[in-house]
Parts: sequence; structure tokens; C-alpha cells
Amino acid sequence: MIIKSSEDLKLIKEKGLAKLLPKRPRIGIGMGTCGIGNGAQELFEAFKVALAKRKIPALLTKVGCFGFCAQEPLVNITLSGKPLVILNSVLPKDVDSIVKDLAGNNINSKRALCKIETWDHLTGEIYYGKGFEQIPAWDKITFFKWQKKIVLRDCGLINPEDIEEYIAVGGYQSLLTVLRDLKPEAVIAEVKKSKLRGRGGAGFPTGIKWELMRKENSAEKYIICNADEGDPGAYMNRNESESDPHMLLEGMIIGAYAMGASSGIIYVRAEYPLAVERIRKAITDARKFGLLGDNIFNSGFSFNLQLVEGAGAFVCGEETALISSLEGCSGRPHPRPPFPAQKGYLNKPTNINNVETWSNIPVIIAKGADWFTQTGTQNSSGTKVFSLVGKIKNTGLVELPLGASLQTLIYNIGAGSGTNKKIKAVQSGGPSGGCIPAALFNTPIDYETLASLGAIMGSGGMVVMDDDNCMVDVARYFTEFTSSESCGKCTPCREGLIQSLNILNNITKGRAVEKDIQDLQNLGAVIKDTALCGLGQTGPNPVLTTLKYFMHEYEEHIKEQRCDGGVCADLFVSPCENSCPLHMNIPGFLELFKEGRLTDAFECIIRDNPFPSSSGRICHFHCKMRCRREDIDYPVSQGEIHRYIADQIYKGAKDVKIIEGLVKERLAKTGKKISIIGAGPCGLTAAFYLSRLGHDVVIYEANPEPGGILRYGIPEYRLPKAVLRKEIAFVQKMGVKILCNKKINGDDLDRKIKGSDAVFLATGAYKSMGLGIPGEGLKGVLSGTAFLKDVAVGREPLIGKKVVVVGAGNVAVDAARTALRFGSEVTIVYRREKTDMPANKDEIKGAESEGVKFIFLANPKSIRGDSHGSLKGLIVTRMILGDYDLSGRRKPVATDEVFEIPCDTVILAVGEKVDAEFIKRCGILINHDGTVKADRFDLKTSLDKVYAGGDLVLGPATAVEAMSDGKKAARVIDLVLSAEDRFAKLFHKFNYKSRIPLEPKVSSKLDTEKLEIEKRRNNFKEVCLGLSLKQARAEANRCLRCDLKEGN
Amino acid sequence: MPEEKVSLKIDGKVYECDADSTILEACAKAAIDIPTLCYLKGINQEAACSICLVEVKGAKTLLRSCVTSIKEGMEIFTNTPRVRNARRLNLELLLAGHPKDCLVCDRNQSCELRKLAFDMGIREVRFPKTTKIELPLDTTSVSLSRDPNKCILCGRCVAVCSAVQTVKAIDFSGRGKSSKVTTFFDSGLANSVCVNCGQCLLVCPTGAISERNATKQVWNVLSDPKKIVVVEVAPAVRAAIGEEFGMPVGSLATAKLAEGLRRLGFAKVFDTQFSADLTIMEEAHELIQRIKNKGRLPMITSCSPGWIKFAEHFFPEILENISSCKSPQQMFGAIAKTYYARKYNLDPRNIVVVSIMPCTAKKFEAMRPEMKGAFDYWKEELGLKKDEVFYDVDYVLTTREASRMIKEAGINFANLAGEDFDEPLGISTGAAVIFGATGGVMEAALRTAYEVLTGRQLEKLDFMELRGLNGIKVAEVEIDGMKLKVAVANSLSKARVLLEEVEQGKSPYAFIEIMTCPGGCLGGAGQPIPTNNEIRLKRMEAIYREDKNKPIRKSHENPAVQALYKEFLGAPLGELSHHLLHTHYKKREGAL
Repeated sequence: MIIKSSEDLKLIKEKGLAKLLPKRPRIGIGMGTCGIGNGAQELFEAFKVALAKRKIPALLTKVGCFGFCAQEPLVNITLSGKPLVILNSVLPKDVDSIVKDLAGNNINSKRALCKIETWDHLTGEIYYGKGFEQIPAWDKITFFKWQKKIVLRDCGLINPEDIEEYIAVGGYQSLLTVLRDLKPEAVIAEVKKSKLRGRGGAGFPTGIKWELMRKENSAEKYIICNADEGDPGAYMNRNESESDPHMLLEGMIIGAYAMGASSGIIYVRAEYPLAVERIRKAITDARKFGLLGDNIFNSGFSFNLQLVEGAGAFVCGEETALISSLEGCSGRPHPRPPFPAQKGYLNKPTNINNVETWSNIPVIIAKGADWFTQTGTQNSSGTKVFSLVGKIKNTGLVELPLGASLQTLIYNIGAGSGTNKKIKAVQSGGPSGGCIPAALFNTPIDYETLASLGAIMGSGGMVVMDDDNCMVDVARYFTEFTSSESCGKCTPCREGLIQSLNILNNITKGRAVEKDIQDLQNLGAVIKDTALCGLGQTGPNPVLTTLKYFMHEYEEHIKEQRCDGGVCADLFVSPCENSCPLHMNIPGFLELFKEGRLTDAFECIIRDNPFPSSSGRICHFHCKMRCRREDIDYPVSQGEIHRYIADQIYKGAKDVKIIEGLVKERLAKTGKKISIIGAGPCGLTAAFYLSRLGHDVVIYEANPEPGGILRYGIPEYRLPKAVLRKEIAFVQKMGVKILCNKKINGDDLDRKIKGSDAVFLATGAYKSMGLGIPGEGLKGVLSGTAFLKDVAVGREPLIGKKVVVVGAGNVAVDAARTALRFGSEVTIVYRREKTDMPANKDEIKGAESEGVKFIFLANPKSIRGDSHGSLKGLIVTRMILGDYDLSGRRKPVATDEVFEIPCDTVILAVGEKVDAEFIKRCGILINHDGTVKADRFDLKTSLDKVYAGGDLVLGPATAVEAMSDGKKAARVIDLVLSAEDRFAKLFHKFNYKSRIPLEPKVSSKLDTEKLEIEKRRNNFKEVCLGLSLKQARAEANRCLRCDLKEGN
Repeated sequence: MPEEKVSLKIDGKVYECDADSTILEACAKAAIDIPTLCYLKGINQEAACSICLVEVKGAKTLLRSCVTSIKEGMEIFTNTPRVRNARRLNLELLLAGHPKDCLVCDRNQSCELRKLAFDMGIREVRFPKTTKIELPLDTTSVSLSRDPNKCILCGRCVAVCSAVQTVKAIDFSGRGKSSKVTTFFDSGLANSVCVNCGQCLLVCPTGAISERNATKQVWNVLSDPKKIVVVEVAPAVRAAIGEEFGMPVGSLATAKLAEGLRRLGFAKVFDTQFSADLTIMEEAHELIQRIKNKGRLPMITSCSPGWIKFAEHFFPEILENISSCKSPQQMFGAIAKTYYARKYNLDPRNIVVVSIMPCTAKKFEAMRPEMKGAFDYWKEELGLKKDEVFYDVDYVLTTREASRMIKEAGINFANLAGEDFDEPLGISTGAAVIFGATGGVMEAALRTAYEVLTGRQLEKLDFMELRGLNGIKVAEVEIDGMKLKVAVANSLSKARVLLEEVEQGKSPYAFIEIMTCPGGCLGGAGQPIPTNNEIRLKRMEAIYREDKNKPIRKSHENPAVQALYKEFLGAPLGELSHHLLHTHYKKREGAL
């Protein structure tokens, strides 16, 4: 029928409402492309069968997508008079029981994601009903809580293929209002007042654009909808067209009336077949109802609309290129002016708006501009739909008020990282957008702010990246995309992006030089400054933003040939080797071990790591963090294996010959004198390699024994002193002189610098930090490091019966377990949650099993003593978790609740800092936080000949990271002293088999033998007893040999 | 009415400029030459090369001066570090992808890219040639060859082909690094609608398009003692070749050319102008005949081979309107190998005809299968076999190729004293020389047709309304009370306008002259580079100067032509003329 009046429209509305709120149950299956991809079609069939089987007269229908991609397929069910209930991740196997429940007029609340009692479609309201108390309301669950659905108002709730349902929720009412009551100028005035800006990305004010078009005097004018969404990762326009095509049509018809156009074109990329199909149907239906064609609503206004499928070129998102494409030419942009509003499609005035822009129009008319501007910011009103994808838990389409922060989007709605890695950055605006680092996630999302960070709003793609992403590779990826999608017309875009890509490829392959960074920067700046169209001008954004925020990653690739993210495969042997701070050849020693070549395996290990047994006990096992075995079951315990191998070698005294071999191999004496300050893991490692390179090395150590934190920090039950001493002896065998009880002061250091060819500072970070709360001066308040050191040197520690340890790192856990061994009752107090504890997971588990208590979400307020000065208790504030902070963790927020934890001893282990006073006195520059200023790549300090590494530079880090700095120091110092890269001479290439396990089977969890809990009391016997031969073999066999690359 | 002016600042100085100028034009007025590589006024203003950048106060990015209009109060900076850096970088980017074989490149002396790189002080290119694979050369055409590897994608050739010639034989294909200029389905120029006009070559800023070089073959025949190598020189060549030797634009080098070619070793130095006079004899008579016999009108001239192929592709329905006369080049070849051979008792098989043309399409024309009039003439008499076939014209050299040979021979062309052309095929009239300019054939034909039809002396020989660079020129001539409307078009886009009228039967003209290239032959693709309107005008002046100074200015008064008819051909349009001097055309596949 042809709708001519508001009465006609009302009649259709009634019909539609009867479908939305039927007397019988209504089942709506979310059937956007995303839902169908997740099995919605099969689900629909399953429902059909099940309903027929049980003879339930339910109305089974398609609906669009409700946006929560991670929970697809979504099914919504309405029982008459009850709320609409959304079920998530529904599988065909669930259907029968759902239908069974329906027969009993019931819905199993356990399956439900949320419910909707009343839904405001903005153009109308639907009241479903009350009930299902157990099911949370839709706006109470985190994914939807912060959202505001204006554009997505109907998506997922109505059948997109049924014009009557669109009319039922108030659709085409705005059009009627406009045609009946408003002059074109008034429509434009309202749009201008709404401050709506182009949602295609550039953010040009829509009303002004319409006005320019309106002013053009031409008998023929065109309006175009740009649905050529071409960004990888963006799919909001697809969903909008698939889930609610009539909202787009209505927006366009209103726009056509306002601008005086009689023809319109929707340009959809051909890769969106469902969108094409549904828009086509919408056009046909609208025509059937008289909403398109001649004399719409009897107003005298006529408008026709057609759909054109684009061949899918990214550049066709650019207005002038899109027009070229429509005209049958290749999609190449033209210089503007003339603007399309003056000379566009077929040289006639043309207006182009994005799907989302058009979709806002009916609401602006229905609710008024004043209502619209209440959402968003001063300059960016309304909402924006984002597609949230990548390394994020809750992927989906999110509609947020403009001005909401990235933090809300990524941590609150997205629920943070979808992997076990930290979120590093988000790419906003697709391939021509920019990478914003996590540290800037408090940024509000609006056009200007994103631009000021070097990114763009674009069409709203948000690709989240974590620590496993290499930012150079990210830039390379997007540049590859834009350079291949460049139309090829203007020089900077065509040639500049290729050259940028070439440089990026070189960087990721380890073939770049430092100058390349300047070239990249210059290319980026000039392309941005001189490209003809938007694609070119924004093309360098990924490069420029990653250069701006992740320069260290570029430098790492170029100067050290390292890709910390473990992505650039040419730069590492295997992911485990790459993430091991010492870059041990892990697949190598595992294979040697598998082949039964124990001594070769040990030799392979010791060349890479002079403390294989010690570090195998205490490492953070960086190697496991990127072990690909995790995709199958869990990472290979690589560190445990090298401990096993070393222990076996030592047991059989097979180390003697190998060490002798290394001694013999020592390079000819260079006569260069090197002084190392500090015999911790960093200094010892540096000494090991420097001496092997032929230099005279002397280490000065303040303590009576070498070993640093390994000797004086880590308790005996984790690292037996005997093991450590044995391995330190290897260093001495290499010719290193260790002078103990030699505390170096500023004057000493001056002398050492004068008397040496190089000085390496590696004194670590051992000074405990305080909390700055009242009562810290009380007797019974100890620092964690001092306490552990007392125990390590054999002094009786001054602790009482009830010990509270404040902190959550390894020092805190070590202190707690040590205090426990002295018979005290121990409680660890931490202001955040257990999952936030930075200590080794195994250590936390160990502490728990031994009986250490934990109080989380408690922040020390003061330490109470009695009138005698005796410590009585720790007073803490109860915390609750607030919003996410920039570290991606939820921020603890103080409550009013304060309580006391009775105790007689408080051990503060909230962090350590560097004591670099004596270094400062020699004129060496110190950072603000007290660490020594040294170049991250060559470890040079501000003073000639002086290098620094380990915690002294890094701040508190792990022992193996400190060893890594020591190793690096040896290489760079030798390079300077000998003017030759000789470091590789210290290593040896072992030949072993190249076998890839073709069908790895899931293995059961490794359970290393531990000392029984009862046997741990009152002693410091080693807890972790290491692998058995069988276990070690089984573990080694689990290695997937990621070092073997195709073609090897 | 005075032009509207705006006031703006360029590099700190205030200027008053015409309101409709671009920044580029305003800067030129202020004596600032902004470098460009893609810009061709009115033809290619697509802003692709990104070299002509300037900084404008208030603009977010650098602007392209070639497409940006000036505005009142604009502040323009043409020489800031930002501008220099961007121009240089973009130029370096183009150079990175461009071969570095300048030493052996055809365009070594006339390459805009090379000159710009030098002028902008670029002495090293930071960037490597990217992985762009070597693209195959397009050598399918006998006139032109294309080297896509030297192409900088400026788009001038595409624009000229489409906007000036409306041929659209070439366009862009591919995206990003796969972008290239190519023919439909990469099938090569010879298999496209290309008319061989070579205007693309003329505007190419690099050596990506060049003529198929025939100098090697010509050197070879020149050193073959068995061959009698004669040369014919087209009218427009003499008005331009001096440019190749540093002579001022507009110099006439007729006599130097004759001497220079003789020094190169040609047995006889003849003139295409001789056969131009002959063409007029045939063509004027054909026109008269068509008028008298109510034949197909308008008659359209046939001496421009680019236009002939254009008609065969795009206007096959009106091929009969085209005069059946061969072009002067072909008439010369046919006469040299028949009349001349017979007169001097030479074996036509040993005569080699080399023509020097301002044109690339002439190379194609000479190789058209029907251009073997002399062979057919002698076939029976000499018992020639199929494999002994020879063409009327053996080799076609462009003005540039000829000048290269003269340079190679060490001839100091500019300082030659000058000599006359050889007789009899070197004798010509003023009517022949103006063939080199648009409107010239028409004017020459009218001079003869008038006198032939009326038997009276034409008083005013100069048809001024037919001269100049306008695309379409029309005139009305009264001959014996009969009003004859004539039109002249140069460039194929302008020709198309007249041809569409003819096609629709609405053409008011009796006679139309069509020249493929803007300006006529003097602006042909075989001429020295650069060729632009300023240069075209000067060459044109030279041509009309030559006409003015010629003792005889009407083709039918050429004594050598008269002798030819008397001794050999009989009368215009006679039996022998029909065989030797006339041809036919065929329909070719058109554009999609």
C-alpha cells in the first residue's frame, strides 16, 4: 500500500507492533554477517525444527546484530508481557532445552546475558514487561553499561527485512514530520544546530555541508551514501546497513528533501553481500509503501534511490574517488576545489555522507537538536559507533557518547586484554589512523583530541594491541595496506608509502641503519603535507605515531636487531630465545639433551648463561611467556630443564672439563684493565664474558661474599648457597678477580676510572623504600631487604610472633616465607588484588601452601605502637576496586573502613631503590628516580669509559634481566676496547637434529617434586627439588622447535 | 572591460594579479618559476606530481600551485625550508623509481625530470629502486615505443590522448606500486585505437615514450654502394630543425637542411613540397569533380595519417568523405620510384626513399600495406616476385632523428652556408610550404581550385581567416558566384566536433582540412622538444615567411609538377594518378 498520511502510517505501525509484541512467544535470532558467521543460520533452522517438534506457535524471526560480537550468536526471546531476554553464545544443541522452557512459558535465566524491560528506540518506545528478577538488566552488564545507543537504536531488536517493524518503532515518522511541517531550510537549521559531524572520519559539520549543497542552483542534484567501509577492523557501517537499513533510507530521504536532490545513490562495497541484499530489499519495500518515488506522503516531493556496488578500493572512501568510481572511471581522487557540492557526480552538485551520519538524522528530527547535543562534548555532539577488535576480551560494536575515554572503551567495556599479555596500544581510525599507547588511554575520544595525538577518528575502528604486538610490524602492516591501496596518482602517496614500507621491511628484517629513522620521519611528514587526498595525508599516521610513542622499539630493531614483541621472525631464533633476557639457545640445548648429549647441552647452556643452575631456580622464566606450546597446552619448562642439566653435570663432576675447555679458549690477553663495581648477577656476568675476551677484570664488592641479591636476597630454600658458590667459582676460574669487603666511595671510583680502561657500574637496587606513614620509626618495623640479608648472613632476625609483610613482589613473598620458617605467624598485606601481585606465581602459591595469610585490598595507614614504643598493629584502610588505571588494572580506591591488623613486626617490602650517591659525586648523571643515566643500547654513562647496567640503571628488575645487562656490557665494552665485534667468538654452533614434532599431543600438567610442607618448618631446606630425568625428557620432547623455519 | 585584479603577497612582496590566475601563474608573473612535471595548462591539471608545492599562510598542508586559485590577501611562500624539503623529497621519490640510464636515453637533452633534478641540486638519491618489477617495453607500434619503466605517472600523455585527441588509447591501470599507463588489456599500442600521433611523446617529461628509431637502418643504406638513397623533407621540418642546433625558434633552415642532408650522403636531396604541390593538383581536382558531379561532400583532406587512422576507428561511416589522395610523403615515394626512375633510367629496386617528417604517424603510414604503388607499377615489367616487394617510402625519420644523424656526422648545421634542393623533385611553390601549418592545405587547395574553376588569377593569395592556432577555423569563399564554406580543424578533439556534424549529415561545409596535431605538422610529434604554443606560433611565422618569399606560390604553377604531368601522368585524376597517387581506407575496430 502507498502511505499518504499519518493515519496510513499509524495503520502500518499497528501491524508492526503486533509482530514485535505478539501474544505468542517471539524468538529473534541475531543474523547480521557476524551472527551468521558464528552459526546463526544453523541456529535458526534448529529453532524451526524444535518449535515444530513441540508444536509451539512461536514467531521465529531474524533480527540484526545487538553488537556483542564476543557473545555471538545472540538470541532474544519475548514472552508476552515479560521482558525481552537476550541469550548469548547459543549453540544448536541448546535449542531443544530453550524451546522446552518456552513450552512452559519460561526462560532459563542461567542462559541469559541480560533482559530489556523497556526499550527507547528514540523514535518511539517499546514496553516489553517486567519479570525475570535473576537476569540483569541490559544496561547493568559491563559491555553495555557505558554505551548509549542512538545509531544502533534498533539494531538487534527489529527484523531488518521488515519495513513494518521499523515503522512500529517510530520509523518514517520523522520523514512525515519533515515533509508535512518543515521547510528544507528548517531541516538544515536543525541539523546545523545538532552539531552533527561527518561520521566517516573527517568530522566536517554535516549541517554546513548540507547548506552548501542547498545553495547550489541546479535542476539536478545527487546525494550519495558512502558505505564503502574499507578499513580492516571496521564493520560498523556494515552492521548498521544490515541491521537497520530503513534508518539509513529515512535519513537520506530527509537529507534529499533538505538539499533539494531528487536522486540518491548508496555506494556499498560488493564484499558486503548481506548489506547489499538488505538495502536492496529496503529500497524495494520503501518504494512499495510510497516512501520512495514520486510525491512522497502526498507532499509533492519526489526522490529516487539506487544501490551501486563498489569493487572495494580503500581510496573510494574518498569523496572524489568515489564519484569517479560511480561514473565508471577508476577510483582516483581529483584536486578540490571544485568540491562535490559544486561539481560532483556527472558534474552536478553532489552531497556525500557516511552511513552513520545519515542514520543519525531521523533521531535528530524526532528528538530535536537540543536533545542531541546533550550527548557528547561541546564540539563533538552525539555518539560514535566503534568496532572494538584485536587483543581485547569483549570484542564488539560499541556506541559511546563522544568524549568518553579510551580507558572506558578498552578496559571497562572491552574488559581489558583478551590474552595474558598487557595491552600496549590501540590503533584508532584504521590503517590511516594512529597508534595510541596505553599510557594515554585517559584521552577523550573526539575528533580534535585524537588528531592531536596523531591519530584520527576515522570510521571508528579500534584495534587493540598487546605486548605480543611489535609496533614496527604494526606500522609495516598498515603501511603495506595503504601503499597497496594508494590509487597511484600522486607522487608522495604512491612512491613515499612504498619507500616507507621498504624501510619498515628492512627494519623488521634487521637490515636497517639508524639514518632510516630520519628518512621515515621525513617521508611521513612530507607525505602528510603534500599528498592529494585523505588517504595519502593520513597514510603515514601509523608510522608517525609509532615513531612518536614507540621509538624504543624501532631503536631496538635497528641497534640490537631485536624484536621484543617476538613478531619479526628474522630477528630471533625462536620465541623463547627472543624473550629470554640472556637469549639462550633454548631449542638448541633441548635438542642436544633429547639426543642424550648432556655435556654438549651443558656447554651450550653455560656459554649463554654462566649461572644455569642458580638461574634455573629463581628465574621469572621469560622464556615461558612466549612459548608457542601454550597454544596446545602450556609452556615448556625450559628453565627447569637447564637447571636439571646443570645439576646432573655437577653431580657427575663433568663440569670440570668443560670449564677447563672454556678457560683454554680464553682469547689472547689484551692488557686492558676493567673494573666492575658490584659482584651481583650483573657484574659477575659481565666479568665472565669480559675475562673470556682476554681482558683483566677485577670486581669490587662491598659485602663479604660475591653474589649480590642471589647471595643476600633470595633465601636458601629457593637458592642453596652451595649451588651459587659453585657457579660463581666458574667466573673466578675464567680469571676474574673478586675483591670482597671493598665498599667503593666516590674517591675510590675516581681512582678506578683513572686507572682502568673501562669501569662497569653494577651495584644494583637494594635500598628499601618506606611508606611514609606514621609509626615507621617504631622498633619492629623492618625493611624487607635488610631482613633477608640478616637471615642470609646468619644473624638472628629481630622479628616477633606476629609478622605483617607489606608488599606484593618477590621480596615480600621471600620475607614472608622466611619469617614463617622462624616460627612466626605471617600475613601479607596488599592494597590491590591477588591477581595484581607482581611476585612469581609459584612463589605466591608456595607461600599460601606454607600458611602465609593474605589480606588484599588493604592499604597501610599507620603503624600503631603502645606507650612503650612496642609495635602493636598495622592500621589499614579497606580499599575497593575502582576504575581501570593506565596500567590496565583496576585502581584501588579508599573506603571509610579502617581496621587494625594486630602484629608485633611489620616488614616493609614495597619496593627497592638505587643508592647512587657515590656515583653522582664523580659527575655521572643520575635520573630523577635515582637510577644512573645510561644509554639503553651501549650502556654508556655520561662519563667517558664508564658504563652502567642492571638494577642500577633499570631500577628493580629480575636477576636474569640484570645478567642480560652484564652480558650486553661485556659486548659493548669489548667492542670499544678492541674496536672489533669479537663477542661471537665466545659462542659455539652445535650441530643437532632438525625435527619438528608434527602431531604434538596434549600433555598432562608437569608436577615437579617439592619438599613436603611439614618438612619445611624451621629450616631452609630447598623446596623445589627439580625435575626427574623422566620429567626432563618429557618436557624437552614437548618443544615445538620454533627455531626451525620453512626452508631450513 | 578591465580584468578583475587581486592583490597578494608572494615571498613578502605585494603583487596585483588577474583574479582568475592560479598561484603558478601569479608566481610566473612575479618572475618565480615554480617547477612542475605534470602540469599542462588546460589539459592536465590533476595535481599528480606534487612538485609545484608552495606554502600558503593559513593552509594546513602545502598547496599545489598549479591548481590553486589565488585569492585577495593571500600570502604565498615559494622558497621556505618546508617547501624545498617537500619538493626535493617528492622529486627524489620519483627519481628512486626511475632508471638512471640518462647517458643513453633518447631524451637526455630534453628530459624535464633530469633537468629538474639538476636544477634542484639533487646529487644523490637516498632511496633505492623499490621492488617494482621491470615492465616490458611496448614495441608493438611501428611509430612509437613505450618504456613504462621510465614513466613517472604524471598523466600528461593520458590527458593529451584523451582531452586533446579524444582517442583514449592509453589510461592508468592498477593501484599503488602497480600503477601504470597502459593500453586496453595491456595489448600494446599497435593493437589499440592509438593513431600514432605521438602527442603523448611530445608532452612526456621523460623518455617513457619515443619514436621507433630508424637512424640505424638509414645509416646502413647510406653506406650501401648499390643503393641510390634519396631523401624528401616535409615542409614543417625546415621551420623547426634549427632548434635542435641552438638556432632561435622560428629560424628557417631550408637551405642548410638541403646542404646538411647532402653532406650526410644522400644521392639526391628532394623536397616533399614538390609532392605537396602534386597533392594539391590531385586534391583540388578531386574537390572540383565532387562538386561538379555532386559527389560526397564535404571532402576532407587526407594528408595527416593520424587523422586517417582516427577516422578508420571512430568514424568509419564517413570514410568516403575523405579525399582519396595519398599524402605528399606517399606521392613522393611513388613518383620517385616510377617517374624519376624511368626518367634517369634507374632500377626502382635500388632506389631507397627516406623521408624526414615532423610526424610519428608517418612511420605507420609508410608501412600501410597499400602503400606500394611503385611496386605494382613495375611488377609486370620487371617480373617482380612477391618477396621482392618494396614500399614507396622505405624509411621515415622524424625531425629529431634527422638532426641526430647530422650531429653524429659532425656537421656544424647552424654554420652551413646552404644549398638548393635537387631537381626536379626538389622544386616547390609557396602553396606547398604552408602544408606545414594548420589551414595550409586548405589555403593551397583554394589557391588552385579557384584558378582552375574560374580560369582567373586569384588576387589575394592569403586566406588570413584560415591561419593561426585556433582549433576550428572557418571561411567562405566565393568562386564564380558559388559560395563555398570550408572549415579547418587541428587536433582530433576539434576534428571530432566537425566530424560529428558530418556523421549526422549536418555539416555545412564543402571542404574540411583536418590536421591531427595542434598547430598542424609544425606541432607534430617528430618535432624538437619542447613544442608548445609559443613555439608553434614562431614556427608558423617562419612557414608563412617562406611562402611569401617563394617566387611561385600556387601549386599548379610548379614547373616540375607541370612537367611530371606532361611527361608521365597525363592529367590530374588520370589513370596513372589513380594507381600511383590515390588510395583507399578501411574500417578498423573502434573504441569500446
